[in-house]
Amino acid sequence: MADPLRGKDKAPTFHDEERGPAGALAAMLVETKSVMPAAGATGMSLMLVVAAMCFLATLALGAALSVGGKAREWTNDLSGSLTVEIKPSREMEPEEQIDAVMGVLAETSGIVSATPLSRDDTAALLEPWLGGEVLADDLPLPRLVDIRIEGSAPPDLSALAMEVAAAAPGASLDTHRQWQSEIVNAARSAEWLAYAVLALVAATTVAIVVFATRAGLSANRDVVEVLHLIGARDNFIASEVQRHFLHLGFRGGVIGAGLGAAAFLLLGLAGATGDLYLVSASGIGPEYLPALAVIPFAAALVAVLAARLTVFQTLESML
Amino acid sequence: MIRFENVGMRYGMGPEVLRDVSFHLAPASFHFLTGPSGAGKTSLLKLMFLANRPSRGLITMFGQDIATLPRKELPPLRRRIGVVFQEFRLLGHLTTYENVALPLKIQGKREAEYRADVEELLAWVGLGDRMNATPPTLSGGEKQRAAIARAVVAQPEVLLADEPTGNVDPEMGQRLLRLFVELNRLGTSVLIATHDRALVESTGAPELVLRDGRLTIRG
Repeated sequence: MADPLRGKDKAPTFHDEERGPAGALAAMLVETKSVMPAAGATGMSLMLVVAAMCFLATLALGAALSVGGKAREWTNDLSGSLTVEIKPSREMEPEEQIDAVMGVLAETSGIVSATPLSRDDTAALLEPWLGGEVLADDLPLPRLVDIRIEGSAPPDLSALAMEVAAAAPGASLDTHRQWQSEIVNAARSAEWLAYAVLALVAATTVAIVVFATRAGLSANRDVVEVLHLIGARDNFIASEVQRHFLHLGFRGGVIGAGLGAAAFLLLGLAGATGDLYLVSASGIGPEYLPALAVIPFAAALVAVLAARLTVFQTLESML
Repeated sequence: MIRFENVGMRYGMGPEVLRDVSFHLAPASFHFLTGPSGAGKTSLLKLMFLANRPSRGLITMFGQDIATLPRKELPPLRRRIGVVFQEFRLLGHLTTYENVALPLKIQGKREAEYRADVEELLAWVGLGDRMNATPPTLSGGEKQRAAIARAVVAQPEVLLADEPTGNVDPEMGQRLLRLFVELNRLGTSVLIATHDRALVESTGAPELVLRDGRLTIRG
């Protein structure tokens, strides 16, 4: 006669002990039965807390990467360009001023290109502020020369500034340095702030896991005792407990990172017309999205390590 | 195998519940432990299955002085001892099958290796159709049999049982006793704490009698 128990399903069984490498990932999503009771009623709310933490971590990581990327971009961008501003002067016609400056620039090594902006270009730059009508032809406008310099062999900027100033009255070299260093500093501060938030979130998650592990162990003290008495090592108990936190961390991480990525996409839609604060227009550049996928794995790792160490520490004092 | 020399034990600062207890359990021996309630039977068993440490005296198990044994050396010793707890202490969230298989799982064995053995043992103690039930749904007698199955499943060198027939009818009591005797024949030392005179008299095995914390040996 066939055994009715075996026919039904493969129950009764513990978790699948023979796990292939492919099964390992699936095992992170599907929690299998543990010898240690799951945290029970606290399981769902704990998962929500971990998910919320991972959501915050995702936002912080995304912001840090995005702002950091922007800061580097600006550093490269601005240090590759200079501007010569030529104020109108009674002593020289604007075109002569430009010719004189261009003459100096042509003789200077390390300059890739120098492009004087035409009067129309300059007027177009001012139009948003002054309006098109006001810019009558006789209104004296400062003229600009956009210069691209060789990044690897830049010209001597202070010497160049003096030469430009000497070449034509009213001409001055703007290296954008002050502007650049201020905005890059601001961006760097924002970047480090985001990393600090990330560290704080990670520390909070560790504290939550430690607390939950201790509470779980003390609630299941009799189970732990029985396991010890039938010969279980601390390691066995730790493995059973940490498996629960592996799932908790990973699932919470997936939910949190998913919500975080969605938030960045929404932010991108909301700010699609331009840069929204320091975050780039797309919310977060697509190149950073894979980095966000690290969050669930990091959350699982943090949860597992915190739980494991807590179990060892607690058991040592328990029995 | 298990040797007690002048062992005394107290809980905290309380009075001694065991006094100058000395005895020796030889390999493959069979003993009963009797005595009135509160005489210290459970305390003595707790010392034997390494749940407590003595306040004084020397306990040697499998040739090792347990007083000097570091914590991490205890699990291998405990694995050589099967225990039937008075209150069973089955894990409520696991099925009967999982409870019984637990000692083997803890030893790192794979389910494929032990599954058939565990099922056979469960059938033998009359729990073949209760394998998927969890302990809270089992009757007192069923829990007791599950606890006994868990204690013997890993074929321990020593079996300690605290009132193992307390919740079953005499017929099942005799059946379980036969299981203990069978195990003993295969080389396991058995010690059964019981109030059941009929059980003690049916085997004629020697008796450790505890009275007011002192131990005498009869038979």
